[in-house]
Amino acid sequence: MTFSSSYLLSITTFIYLAAAALYLIHWVFRVEKIGLAASFVTAAGLVCQTAGIGLRWAESYQMGYGHAPLSNLYESLVFFAWVTVLVYLIIEWKTGKRVIGAFATPFATLAMAYASFSPDVQDKIQPLIPALQSNWLIAHVITCFLGYASFAVACGMGIMYLIRGEESESNSGLLSALPSLKVLDDLMHQTIVFGFLWLSVGIITGAVWANQAWGTYWSWDPKETWSLITWFVYATALHARFVRGWQGKRIALLSIIGFVSVIFTYFGVNFLLSGLHSYGSS
Amino acid sequence: MKNRKTGTGGNPLWKFLSSVRLAIFLLIILAVTSIVGTIIPQGETMQFYLNNYGPGMFKAIKLLRLDDTYHSWWYLTLLGMFSLNLIVCTLNRLPFTLKLFKRDYIDVTADYLLRASLCHKWTLKAPEASEKAAQIVDIFRQKAGSIREKRLDDGGTVYMAESGKWSYWGLYGLHLSILIIFAGAVYGSMAGFKGRIMLLEGETTDHAVASSDVTQKIPLGFLLRCDRFVVDFYDTGAPKLFRSDLAVIDNGREVLKKSIEVNDPLTYKGITFYQSSYQSIPEVTLRITDSGGGQRNLVIPAFQRVSWPEAGLTMGLMKFLPNVHGVPAARIWIGESNGRADALWLFRGSSKTIDAGGKTYKVELQDAAEKYMTGLQVKKDPGVWVVWLGCTGLIIGFAMVFWVAHRRMWLYVRPGGKDGVTVILAGLSNKNKMKFENEFDEIKNALDSVTGEGK
Ligand code: HEM
Repeated sequence: MTFSSSYLLSITTFIYLAAAALYLIHWVFRVEKIGLAASFVTAAGLVCQTAGIGLRWAESYQMGYGHAPLSNLYESLVFFAWVTVLVYLIIEWKTGKRVIGAFATPFATLAMAYASFSPDVQDKIQPLIPALQSNWLIAHVITCFLGYASFAVACGMGIMYLIRGEESESNSGLLSALPSLKVLDDLMHQTIVFGFLWLSVGIITGAVWANQAWGTYWSWDPKETWSLITWFVYATALHARFVRGWQGKRIALLSIIGFVSVIFTYFGVNFLLSGLHSYGSS
Repeated sequence: MKNRKTGTGGNPLWKFLSSVRLAIFLLIILAVTSIVGTIIPQGETMQFYLNNYGPGMFKAIKLLRLDDTYHSWWYLTLLGMFSLNLIVCTLNRLPFTLKLFKRDYIDVTADYLLRASLCHKWTLKAPEASEKAAQIVDIFRQKAGSIREKRLDDGGTVYMAESGKWSYWGLYGLHLSILIIFAGAVYGSMAGFKGRIMLLEGETTDHAVASSDVTQKIPLGFLLRCDRFVVDFYDTGAPKLFRSDLAVIDNGREVLKKSIEVNDPLTYKGITFYQSSYQSIPEVTLRITDSGGGQRNLVIPAFQRVSWPEAGLTMGLMKFLPNVHGVPAARIWIGESNGRADALWLFRGSSKTIDAGGKTYKVELQDAAEKYMTGLQVKKDPGVWVVWLGCTGLIIGFAMVFWVAHRRMWLYVRPGGKDGVTVILAGLSNKNKMKFENEFDEIKNALDSVTGEGK
């Protein structure tokens, strides 16, 4: 099986790595052509990854397990990378600001590299245990990861905002190639709102699923609680705009803290705490 | 939200309770304190905390109820404050939103339009000014969608296309939905219950055992019978299926039969039964032959003592192994009803002899089987629909807040005067400004082609 899904997905890792490098070069040397190449490479990576995910889906049917590739840590990392790239490309297409790519594509690259090469991550296709045999699971994973991916991109924007700094508005060189603080602030806010909407839907679909499987829509298990903590952080970021003195830098910080909370919800809970959602550790 | 003057705006308590500052403070406190209950294991015995955390921390855990953080007095107080904040804030904003909503945005002046974030002004000179003006109005009509018009006191006419005015209510839907979810959760926990049932295949019950207190029985109001339990595994050894075939008997009649699985529960009269666990209970059959030739087959279920009174023998099952080198094996105790007992290992088909009461008995393991006991989670939660209603409202409200903008596009035309015809195009949108700007530019370019400006 040379042309297997794991082969395609490993290749994707390198394509995203190349894309991240090109975006970085584009930012540092400001060559428009390289930026264009970066966009093409990213899009190619997305196509390759889509094919890989589709193939993995088909393979699961050949093995007789037949389920959407969203059921273990490996598959969720791959999906996370996929949505992150998708969300980023949409933002690039809408705003034309390629510099953001230098701060967004590395997240996808890291997720793919971790999924493909870490010994902790089992990439075998596994059958679904009874609790996971639910369409709500698919809705839950897709919506949560739409949220997570948006937050990854928003975190990238928060980092850009802090690098750019409040004072250096008229600086020349590297910093001036970044979008203006006002544009960044606005984009960051919109991305957070978008992510927050999907995180909310994700938490709700998770509650519906838990209610159907165990009869409790909310049991305060650590993963649920951490997703709520993440939700609180981003709710803070959304409302901070309405309090004077909380614009800009603090929202950028919250966007980074929020993403740290996402990471903890995603990995920390599986590896450090215990609970219902232990599928991540397998 | 800026400080908006309202009738009660002067009261400092009201001001405090309605502030977004308080909301932010509470959100941060909730985020930070919620971490505690994910680090300290919840719902353990007091002894557990004493052993694991030492006497100092134990005192804090006991005082702050950190064994049940999310139902502790201080956490519930925070949630209560949060709800109060939300209610007061909503009430406080209501007059302001109503004003925004009731206002008719066609009541504008030329000056107001010139201050809009998007605006452009043309002055059309004679001789073709009035034809051009008519053309401009036509184009605006085509491009801007359905419009209203009004004559202003200064002799000008304003044409307006407006949409999404109702979207101001999305934010209310969103915030109120959070309260509805809270209300549903509170109602459900007060009017409902949670329990468990363990049922052997073939067994019937009329009650569940409360999850919070195993000594408390909760009557169901009907009978529930388990006909069969099925468990299936993948070739990897991972479980594939847990299924219980249940029947509901109400008033002596069998009214409902359903096979439940994880993710597919059964509901009857507001009570829902979820597949949650199972146990396998072994049952062995012994054939005992006494030295005098008398023979008897005895069925011994787990956890029960079985007697053969005529022979004065009592026996029970100590251990069961379903598969030892391909055959089931059992460890049995057997002896005189009020005396010494022997313990022996038996494989299916093999036999051993014992002495009891002066007689010799041959004990043979004739058959061994496993019976299943299904574990059901039982729940009654009349508040769950309220929670789902709140969740739906949250999402719809959110979609409105995010996607539906209040958009206004005005065209103002004032004929006459020495300078010719004044034309102003102005636009205002409270969100999605980039997209709106593009649409504004498109109309502006179309008008430019009439006035002769631009390209
Ligand atoms: C966790 C619960 C909450 C959620 C999910 C939530 C959600 C939101 C969202 C999504 C927005 C729109 C932000 C935007 O347009 O960018 C918003 C705005 C707002 N929220 Fe909340 N909110 C919550 C709690 C509260 C509380 C407790 C208050 C009480 C003060 C509050 C007051 C406001 C205000 C005043 C606005 C601004 C409306 C405006 O002027 O546009 N929110 N909220």
